[in-house]
Amino acid sequence: MKPSILRTAAVLLAWVSAHAETLALKKTFVRQIMNRATIGATLEVDVHPNKPHTIGKGGDDGDIHMAGRANEIGLPLVAEIVNARMETAATDLLKSTAPKKVVAVEGVWRIWFEHLGKEDQIQGKTVPVPGTSNPDHLFEIHPITVFGGVNLLSSFQPIPKYNAYPAKTAFPFYEKVAASLQSTDTAVMIQSGASKYNYAEFVIELAGNPKPVDDGFLVLANVFDSNAEEPVTTAPRRMVFVKGTPPADQVKDLKKGDTLHLLGIPRVNLAEVYAIAEIAGKQAASVTLPYEMIVVAVLPD
Amino acid sequence: MTGLLGSTVLEVAIGVAFVYLLLAIFCTTANEYIAAILKSRGALLKQGILKLLAPDQPAPQAAAQDPVVTRFYSHPLIKALMREGSHPSYLPARTFAKTIMDMATPGTPGSITFEELENGIKKDLPPGSLQTTLLAVIQSTNHKIEDAQKAIEAWYDDAMDRVTGWYKRKTQVWTLIVAAILTVATNADTLHIARHLWLEPSLRSQFAEAAKNSPGPVPAMSVNYPDPNDPTKVEVTANKPGTASDQAADTLGLVLGWKDTGDNSAGTWLQRIAGWLLTILAVSLGAPFWFDVLNRFMNLRSAGKSPEEKGKPAAKRKMPPVTA
Repeated sequence: MKPSILRTAAVLLAWVSAHAETLALKKTFVRQIMNRATIGATLEVDVHPNKPHTIGKGGDDGDIHMAGRANEIGLPLVAEIVNARMETAATDLLKSTAPKKVVAVEGVWRIWFEHLGKEDQIQGKTVPVPGTSNPDHLFEIHPITVFGGVNLLSSFQPIPKYNAYPAKTAFPFYEKVAASLQSTDTAVMIQSGASKYNYAEFVIELAGNPKPVDDGFLVLANVFDSNAEEPVTTAPRRMVFVKGTPPADQVKDLKKGDTLHLLGIPRVNLAEVYAIAEIAGKQAASVTLPYEMIVVAVLPD
Repeated sequence: MTGLLGSTVLEVAIGVAFVYLLLAIFCTTANEYIAAILKSRGALLKQGILKLLAPDQPAPQAAAQDPVVTRFYSHPLIKALMREGSHPSYLPARTFAKTIMDMATPGTPGSITFEELENGIKKDLPPGSLQTTLLAVIQSTNHKIEDAQKAIEAWYDDAMDRVTGWYKRKTQVWTLIVAAILTVATNADTLHIARHLWLEPSLRSQFAEAAKNSPGPVPAMSVNYPDPNDPTKVEVTANKPGTASDQAADTLGLVLGWKDTGDNSAGTWLQRIAGWLLTILAVSLGAPFWFDVLNRFMNLRSAGKSPEEKGKPAAKRKMPPVTA
């Protein structure tokens, strides 16, 4: 083989060998949130930009985010307001929030291995003060439903002019993310590599009826690309609808076999993670990363 | 070459990673069988426990006869974990701590206090390293029985971390041995495979197609929702180690195997041995690693696909069962 081929192969190998990261969560915390849509926190807002992302595709999603710390969570964390341009009361409040100010925040908890850092993240360990509004983090409150008393449930709607990733691109990736799960008596550990494709557009066909939980609905559904007949998931996946949002109002009366065209973001399915990690114990189980979809909006058919 | 994305190099890398993945899956499966036959997990756990309970006995045989060890393995909490006399491969820290606490306070039925535990360790356990260690462990707490139990659990967990290290090292040795046997038996020479893929575009396409349907790392477990109307109830089942599909095995057959090329020069053999060594080292990195690598290569490749290739419609609809 030519040396140039070997060099290119070595570069490729080095690129793909980028490290995975481990997230250690307290079991009590996992049990508390695994079958819930949302979480509440008293967030010390450390850094935030003054304007939302532009809208286009990929990371240009119109969100505005803030980095902070919350004792209830005990992890590096970022919180995001969806459709921030429309939610002027909340964004104005954020703009006027001085660094270190504490704000009561509620929203959808989200764990996703997108912004990996150099160190493993252990819940309860002292969280460093973030230096940017998007520090290394695996835990998010995204989308926010209440920010400093401002209700944001109506922000769960299509993001105008935004091009989400099509299901046929995003889901085959989600379905194959490798992970390793294990547990001790008090903690659950998830190790995984970098993930991507934040916002995906997809069609669901309900595989069961929606199950009401305290703060929303959970439902199993097969996932399809808008223009295809073959599902893009190997099996039904769990969908998370937040109580009081327009998508939840639509899904609550649907039955098995009904369909919806949705915009959503993926998060780790902690119910599956917990179940696997409990059985695995200290012998790490190699699996594909369990995930579920947070439903952000119902899209027109 | 037409740039990195979608390039020949990338397709060769996909082919080589695919071969590594399949060989690594075979190695993982073989390792599972070897571990099951040798009962190595249970044996190593027992070694770890003997080191904890009979630290003054240098030989494992003598340690196994130690009175404290005999009492430990006769305790109902531990006996309940033995299946047909086999040592369990996992012992929870809580069970270990409760057994030790019960052994130290045989005359105290029901719940015990910190002082009763401390006195029991002094009176009911024989003098020696175990007694000294246990006293040091519990006396470093704030003299509450719950904290003492947690301290014993932490002491056990620390020891088990070492056992995990032994097991990993043992597995790595077995992986290298299995990888070496497999590599030589199938003549999995990385340099030859890469050259073959480099020179034959149709072979590259065949491998890229097979890689798309790659079996992935054998998942240790799978998740099932028994009631499709209740996604809060999750069931987990352990999977048997899987094997490569027939299609994948057929594809592998295109680049592996012994063929008489008539060239038995020293240079050819040196190159072959270098190719084998590369394969052995790569396969020993494990199936999850190569699965992840292959996915990343495939993502890179799909990012560089032509629009026609991207727009191929799905063929027909499948409705899988409610199983994740």
